Amino acid sequence: MPACAAAWTRTRQNPELCGDCVDKAGPARCACGTFACPKIGQPPFSRKANNANAATKQQIGFHRLFRLPLLVALSLAIAFGLGIWSTLVALEATIGFGAIRLGAWEAFPQAQTADADPYAKAHRANGGRLLLGSAEGLRFYAKVDDEGQPLSGNCTYTVSGQTPPTRLWTLFAEINGLPPRVDSPRPMAINSRSVLRRADGTFAISVSATAEPGNWLAVEGGRPFRLVLTLLDTPTAGSSGLIDLTMPKLERTGCGNA
Amino acid sequence: MLKVLLAIVTGLVGAALLHLIIILALPSFSERDAYSKVLGEGQPFRFHALGGRKDATGLAKEDPFLEVAVCAFDLTEAPVRLSAGSGVPFWSLATFDAASNETFSINDRTSAGGMLDVIVATPVQATALRKAMPSSLMQSIIVETAEPQGYAVLRVLSPQRSFRPMATQFLAEADCGQMAWQ
Repeated sequence: MPACAAAWTRTRQNPELCGDCVDKAGPARCACGTFACPKIGQPPFSRKANNANAATKQQIGFHRLFRLPLLVALSLAIAFGLGIWSTLVALEATIGFGAIRLGAWEAFPQAQTADADPYAKAHRANGGRLLLGSAEGLRFYAKVDDEGQPLSGNCTYTVSGQTPPTRLWTLFAEINGLPPRVDSPRPMAINSRSVLRRADGTFAISVSATAEPGNWLAVEGGRPFRLVLTLLDTPTAGSSGLIDLTMPKLERTGCGNA
Repeated sequence: MLKVLLAIVTGLVGAALLHLIIILALPSFSERDAYSKVLGEGQPFRFHALGGRKDATGLAKEDPFLEVAVCAFDLTEAPVRLSAGSGVPFWSLATFDAASNETFSINDRTSAGGMLDVIVATPVQATALRKAMPSSLMQSIIVETAEPQGYAVLRVLSPQRSFRPMATQFLAEADCGQMAWQ
């Protein structure tokens, strides 16, 4: 059967008939698309095929009509979704760019100043925390150990060595950004006055959910935590990188019951 | 297909723009910033001690060993004098403007005689103060800030539980009042 000269379209007047399948030899002598026109007098298509064809055409109409709004909606969805999501992630993930990193420890000596970068300013405006002034001290955070593994309450860690030059320091574990309860019966925080030191002035603190000999800093078992080491009245806060800063080591000594 | 790609690229550019706008504008419209929270603590020109758990405004002590008190002030009418006694192992004070930028900080070693005595003033007020300095203010440290609104944070170390009453008393006696002015 030869192909039709024109593309097949359903006639509006008589949709049941394949009237548009026309070539020089007259109707019903050519094939239109996938449909061959039947002989005159016979029912043209199965009802199903006709309906399917109508549905396709409706879809094309629908698609044409809503293509632009769909594209605009896609753009807006990406812009707002990704824009807001990336902002939330950035505010959550970082305090800013001006970090000093010493091993596992991280501090932001500029975060409370007018010189802080926009991310730091947005972070502190959103977090609303009371930051330490530069004459007050500097707060170091550790979320991972020296090998880069996240700190977990299932494991035991040792914080050993010494802090940079400072008058006083405090160390505690934060869970979900909250400091431990002050009146807990377990030693949830330790400071430079209460720590036991070796003869050379260095110290070793066991960070564990279960009791340890010597200096023990208790953490909640099974929960991830963040260590906060606050140096009070330290030249580190105004450091221009000239002071050689040595932070205590943060090593994992074991996990689970082993 | 090309149009879908164009729509995606437009969306990505829009996302980047929105990200920047939110980051840059957040400090000016945030109601969760430290200054708003300090204002929510209660009356200005008074030190309010913070508790161990977050209070209604969301402020709390951030270190188990540091007792903290905050005070919101406004220098429009008069300078503010921050003063406190001594007798604690460590105290420190930081003042911030309304955008939470540090304007001044001090601790007991850097102050005169271990006593807290700081006057926060606008540049005009500071000049007037220096011109006719009463003898009672000779020891005071005068801090100039261009921003009249701000807050002060006073921290006291209580390294052991037995130091807690002293620290609490130190904070209770700390003063953040307006100066008698002209």
